[in-house]
Amino acid sequence: MTTQIASSGAMAASRRPLGAAVAKMLRRPQFWFGLLVLLPVLAWYAWFAFGPLLRAFWMATIRYDLMDPAASPFVGLKNFEQVFSYPLFWTAVLRTVTFSVTVYLGTLPLALFVSLCLVSVVRGRGFYQFVIYLPVVVSYVAIALLFRMLMDPQTGQFNQILSALGLPTSKWITGPNSALPSIAMIDVWKGLGFHVVIITAGLLGIPEEMYDASKVDGAHAWHRFRYVTIPLLANTLLLESVIMVMGTLQAFTNAEVIGCAGDSCFWISRLVYSEAFNNMRFGFATASAFVLFIFILALTVIQIRVLKPQWQY
Amino acid sequence: MQEAAIERGRVIRPPSYGRIARIFPHIVLITLTFTSVMPFVWMFFGSFKNYVELTSGKTLWPVNWTFENYVAIWQRASFPRGLLNTAAVTIVVTSAVMITSALAGFVFAKYRFWGKEQLFTLLLCTMMVPFAVVLVPLYVTVAGMALTDKLAGIIVTGLCSTFGIFMMRQFMESIPNDLIDAGRIDGAGELWIFTRVILPLATAPLSALAVFTFLGNWDSFMWPMVVLTSPDNKTLPLVLAGLRSLYWSRYEMYAAGSMLTVVPVMILYAVASKQFVRGIAMTGLKA
Repeated sequence: MTTQIASSGAMAASRRPLGAAVAKMLRRPQFWFGLLVLLPVLAWYAWFAFGPLLRAFWMATIRYDLMDPAASPFVGLKNFEQVFSYPLFWTAVLRTVTFSVTVYLGTLPLALFVSLCLVSVVRGRGFYQFVIYLPVVVSYVAIALLFRMLMDPQTGQFNQILSALGLPTSKWITGPNSALPSIAMIDVWKGLGFHVVIITAGLLGIPEEMYDASKVDGAHAWHRFRYVTIPLLANTLLLESVIMVMGTLQAFTNAEVIGCAGDSCFWISRLVYSEAFNNMRFGFATASAFVLFIFILALTVIQIRVLKPQWQY
Repeated sequence: MQEAAIERGRVIRPPSYGRIARIFPHIVLITLTFTSVMPFVWMFFGSFKNYVELTSGKTLWPVNWTFENYVAIWQRASFPRGLLNTAAVTIVVTSAVMITSALAGFVFAKYRFWGKEQLFTLLLCTMMVPFAVVLVPLYVTVAGMALTDKLAGIIVTGLCSTFGIFMMRQFMESIPNDLIDAGRIDGAGELWIFTRVILPLATAPLSALAVFTFLGNWDSFMWPMVVLTSPDNKTLPLVLAGLRSLYWSRYEMYAAGSMLTVVPVMILYAVASKQFVRGIAMTGLKA
């Protein structure tokens, strides 16, 4: 196979000298246009994407010297050792994972349920979609301040409603145990519309014949849902799952702006930020970010392995 | 195909289709409508109340309408400045992303060159990297260019968007080659083909991308917080987050500040909601 290609290439070269081929390429307008487009874009990627990524590898293995970065001593995996023996890191891991799981379990079933409702109505679908999507477009910082107001234990609207209904009130974000669920609730509220739109699009993409066939076979609503909707929605659900895991594990703004009780919402991204810019430990911060990266990467690969459907229609 | 289905408004109904089955989804959706909108209603009315009235919480409707909160915030918290800064960053970055994504998407979709797929995969890989990993190195890069505490420091890092290139490539692959070849046979230059043939066909995904990029930059928080330090250079989310230390637990100020940030976006959303929703749906469909 390889020799064949090589020999045919050699034949082509012997028939047409290399110089002529290059000259022909240089005469093509596509070559120049492509070069003009790709060069600046690739230069940008080299400078602002791949460069920083390589530098991150380097940073994670040195003790960063702020005065003279070039003279930073190489410490190998010392930063990682420090990360793993740092109690606050494990607190951050625990908080982040708990948060991620809570939001995941809160959002995915609810979004699926709402999407099923949305595709079964005719009148008002546009309106519902418009309104459900409203929290998604609004700035997270504004949402955080807004919920700080609503969740105030003394004067907040949430507790007023709860006490008016005779229900026990909550300390919300000011309580050490209720802070994380409160932030998770805000995230579910804010993100729901996004996931509903994606799942709705997936539902509407299921061919009508599949439903007709199941109807002919006399399938009940639950059977239809279980054996037609869910399997045919598998690709959408996989995408949803991956997006949600990636997003929630990288949470930062929500807790940073709202400010929770103690370390109850100390996510890994917040640890990276505070180690880097409050404690000026660049190497340590980047090493802990790499741990997050590897964790997310592993979870994504696992999700694709487990959830990816093995068939197509 | 799926997009067409959304716009046709296809309906999927349970087979046993009684009255309850018809009303039930509406009940769910109306409840959800209520919970989606209610916080904004509180925010709107709260921003026109004074502190005492807001925290006593007797009525939703303000008894004494006041604009003091807006005036105070506008004057004290450098909101106008933040608004201008955010608008500048957002407009420049959104325009740049539209241009770079459309051009690079076109080249990746319609040109054939050695190593194209590998190169494209390499670009896509950057989407997998959490921002926290490059946070410090990117800061060092920007600091090396002497762009810290400058709006340019945020703008340069946003000029290209991997997601944008991906999205435009996916779309442009669906444009028939014949259209491009016809232009080439007629002697049209590549730029002419791009601007007169490709771009007019790509307005839908391009406007969805514009809306996406606009939102992302309007709300961007972490990176501006790292780069921008002096009050005059802060963008709107930073100014808004600063209200927490400026007005400790003064919720009427929070509400007014949030209103000022949210209203421009909501107006845009009301005007272009179709692009918003389509943009989201596309991310799901094409992946």
